[in-house]
Amino acid sequence: MANLLLEINNLSVAYGDIRALMDVSMEVYEGEIVALVGSNGAGKSTLLKTAAGLLRPQAGQIWFDGHDISHMSTKHRVDRGIVLVPEGRRLFQTLTVLENLKLGAYLPRARANYAESLERVFDLFPVLKERANGKAGLLSGGEQQMLAIGRAVMAHPKLVMIDEASLGLSPILTRRIFDLIVALNQQGTTVLMVEQNIHMALNVCHRAYVMKTGHIVLSGTGEELLANVDVRKAYVGERGSKL
Amino acid sequence: MTLIQILINGILLGSMYGIAAAGLSLIFGTMRIIFIAQGTVIVFFAFLVYWLFVKAHIDPYLCLLIIVPFAFLVGLGLFYALFLRAAALEDKNVSLLIAVGLMYLIENAILKVWSASPRGINFSYQGAVLAGWGLRLSWVRIGLFALAMVSGLVVYLFLQKTRLGMAVRAAAEDMEATTLQGINSGWVCAVSFAVGIGLAGVAGVGMATVYSFDYQYGFTFALKALVALSLGGIGNVFGALAGGLLLGIIENLSDFYLSIGWTPAVTYGVFILVLIFLPHGLFGKRGVVKKA
Ligand SMILES: Nc1ncnc2c1ncn2[C@@H]1O[C@H](COP(=O)(O)OP(=O)(O)OP(=O)(O)O)[C@@H](O)[C@H]1O
Ligand SMILES: [Mg+2]
Repeated sequence: MANLLLEINNLSVAYGDIRALMDVSMEVYEGEIVALVGSNGAGKSTLLKTAAGLLRPQAGQIWFDGHDISHMSTKHRVDRGIVLVPEGRRLFQTLTVLENLKLGAYLPRARANYAESLERVFDLFPVLKERANGKAGLLSGGEQQMLAIGRAVMAHPKLVMIDEASLGLSPILTRRIFDLIVALNQQGTTVLMVEQNIHMALNVCHRAYVMKTGHIVLSGTGEELLANVDVRKAYVGERGSKL
Repeated sequence: MTLIQILINGILLGSMYGIAAAGLSLIFGTMRIIFIAQGTVIVFFAFLVYWLFVKAHIDPYLCLLIIVPFAFLVGLGLFYALFLRAAALEDKNVSLLIAVGLMYLIENAILKVWSASPRGINFSYQGAVLAGWGLRLSWVRIGLFALAMVSGLVVYLFLQKTRLGMAVRAAAEDMEATTLQGINSGWVCAVSFAVGIGLAGVAGVGMATVYSFDYQYGFTFALKALVALSLGGIGNVFGALAGGLLLGIIENLSDFYLSIGWTPAVTYGVFILVLIFLPHGLFGKRGVVKKA
């Protein structure tokens, strides 16, 4: 059995009075691609943001690579190897592509691996090399998503959490981004991905969790969930897209 | 007086506004507030220069070596003591109100320590003039211009060529995304605030060499810096510097062709017109200031 990399235990998170996560538990093992799916407002982004240290849990713990990181700053989490590619990419638009990548490798541990990481990113996403000195804001949507993932790879992470990589992308581009995520995973990086595009996500992931209004309601392998009647009814429409 | 002389005088005088506006621009970048106490902080440093000159006979330009590092440290201290928690809040009014409180606190501290009477310093080469080509330029005003250009260049190099400067630019664009890179964005904000206060130190030295100043002069000065900032377009240091020079020119033209009494009205008239018709400033790009 592979190592347990991320373990979330009975996590509860609220925005003031609004409870967004209730008693959520999940695991991600080293080497996996795990998908987290569910409808709008289910709490998927909240879960990733809490794991990244942007939000504080009300209850529960987050363990990463054998350490309780529940109360660590984002900086220390990134240093331990857990990074978030946020929803909407959140690139530094007025900075160049290369500057965005440099910022991804800001911490000393990542900086020590800078040259190697940069080569890996340019290998995965050759277009970023071509555009290295252009402004990130001038990239197309697909390229921006590649840069957002590339920036995370620059941190030399063990686990990359990706929030809605397919947001605003055509099905063809989404396919490409998913292929690249699989390639990244095959190089040894563990991936936890939140997706609206459930059909595609269940196809590429090893395991998946389904969330609904702050709870995990189902989990299993991608195939199991694809075959599950409830999931099909709730999320996978006739043409295989969400809802 | 020739038009050229007026323009040059304007540029030299406007250098002061430019330095102050560049500081406002940096602080706005990460904190999203107009740091209204900037002018009063500048006056405070001018009083310190006055003290160093009167008590220790230190040449005002030599004071830069003491005042600027001190200002930077004051900036770090102020940020951690007053703004660290407020800067993280969605509601920027909290930071703004702290800045207003700070302004009155410093004003009254100056009043208590140095009294209400205006101060200025008189040093040996203050009246020296560069004459030629039909122009007469005061050396201390050329000094102001040099201070503005050098500090603008230093800040530019810091922002463009250092990793920390790159993090400052990133934080000015998206604080949360900066945090997600593992960057301590509190420290990044503290540094950009401190560089802004360091610029106030430079401006304080400049003020001491040219103006006479009292404890209340700072607020008026901050408003002028704000006008310069609006001319230059918020969010870029060179725009702010250029906006300062332009404001100096406008004021000198108005002093000469209208009258000194009209100049404040012209200044704030320009301010309002720019805000209405060119909200991104004359040199600012659209979309530079995005989400808070
Ligand atoms: N900053 C916030 N303040 C208050 N409530 C919030 C905030 N962010 C999210 N919420 C609420 O928390 C719940 C979970 O939101 P979250 O963004 O985690 O959902 P999601 O599953 O990522 O949805 P989507 O698919 O739309 O991205 C929702 O009810 C949402 O309205
Ligand atoms: Mg979301």
